[in-house]
Amino acid sequence: MRNGGENRGRLLLVILIVSSLFLITLDLRGVNVLDGLRSGTQTVLSPFQRAGNVVLTPVKNFVNDITNLGRTRNQIEDLRKQNQKLREQLISRKNQDGEIEQLKSILDLAGTARFKIVSTKVIAQGSSLAFTRTITIDAGSGNGIKKNMTVISGEGLVGVVKEVFANSAIVMLATDPAFKVGVRVAGSQQIGILAGLGSNTANLQLLDNQTTIKVGDILLARGSVNSQPFVPGVPIGRVTSVSNAAGAVTQSAIVKYFANFGSLGVVSVVVRAPKADPRDVLTPVKPVPTPIPTVTVFVTPSPSASPSGN
Amino acid sequence: MLLRRFGFTGTIFTFFFIAQEAAVSQLNFPAGGFSIFLILTLLWAALSTPEVAAAVGFGAGILLDLSPSTSGPLGHWTLILLLMSYAIAFFSYGDENMRGNPLSLILLVSLAQVIVLFSYLVTGFLLGNSVTSFAQSAITIAGSGLWTLVVTPLMLPAVAWLHDLAFDSRLRI
Repeated sequence: MRNGGENRGRLLLVILIVSSLFLITLDLRGVNVLDGLRSGTQTVLSPFQRAGNVVLTPVKNFVNDITNLGRTRNQIEDLRKQNQKLREQLISRKNQDGEIEQLKSILDLAGTARFKIVSTKVIAQGSSLAFTRTITIDAGSGNGIKKNMTVISGEGLVGVVKEVFANSAIVMLATDPAFKVGVRVAGSQQIGILAGLGSNTANLQLLDNQTTIKVGDILLARGSVNSQPFVPGVPIGRVTSVSNAAGAVTQSAIVKYFANFGSLGVVSVVVRAPKADPRDVLTPVKPVPTPIPTVTVFVTPSPSASPSGN
Repeated sequence: MLLRRFGFTGTIFTFFFIAQEAAVSQLNFPAGGFSIFLILTLLWAALSTPEVAAAVGFGAGILLDLSPSTSGPLGHWTLILLLMSYAIAFFSYGDENMRGNPLSLILLVSLAQVIVLFSYLVTGFLLGNSVTSFAQSAITIAGSGLWTLVVTPLMLPAVAWLHDLAFDSRLRI
């Protein structure tokens, strides 16, 4: 009897293992039904994630307050909003400046370098235990969002739309190890491939062995065919260290992203690419140190003073 | 009876899955955080017979595979959790020193959590998934193990009570 039970148990285990392997095989062969299952799960989870986001905001703020060591969340949030607004104004102004320059030189090439964007709220973050870096946003196909659209924040590139549902979408962050984007260096126009490393830094591999890169260089998105998945000219990050390995064919470098992925609250999806490549007009301005004025003090000796003190 | 047991178990797992996706994942804990769903699955397996553990691991794996944030193919988590749940139950079933001692259960589940994540990472690599850097993976796996050590004692009484309710096993932990 006991033997029979053990055999049944083993049979069950074998059946379940075979079923798992069957599912893996089906998925790897790209059976559409399985994609539909995940899409259905997201549709079911989406309202819970929204509710969780609302309910947990005070807890998240508390955790962030502890992380930020004393700085209150409200102040940071206000400053972030102001900062985002100013950056957006700066980007808009730079687009206009670019247009004026083009008009001045009577080339009349590209039109405006404005993105048409849909601003969305981040409603969930993917579990980092899955070894991926994703966020869920509260806009989907109903808002004009499509797969492979560029996602930006006030600081620069955030990622790319990976999956789209009716009222939500999943964005693969630029920090994801699978993320790759073609970049060019602002100014010198050297090109390379930037790959996510799972943290706030990324690895840059230059494509041309005749070119060099230096610390402080700013990277912009090179843009894709039909501007999908990447629109051109979006600021990405700044080079923080350069590797000059003796055996390497081309130079590589570590790049720190402009976007702060730890505190993404609002992001924008570029739903229409600019008509012309904005080139470097979106390059963030390097902070200029305020000159310290030299203070000159003139001392005039008093006429009434006498050495004897009388 | 069987339907009632698995229906009840399914409801509990679905609830924990939604709680994990809608709440715990959002809190952005340092070093990868923890998964109450994985802890529930491993604890449930440790308290069950190997056959039940395998079935529960299979169901839990399917749920995790359906999570939109999962990058691997459907069936990946299923295979890992099925094997790990069966292994845990196989080693602990019939050993009252293991099942009756909370400390042993906590250590077993924490160790299993580390092995599960490591196996998921390695098999994911073999299946062609992109993997993050070694240091980042090591931090996530080790951090998750430590978080599990902290969270499991808090969940153990509730999970044991729910398990008793589902299977009427009257375990004394």
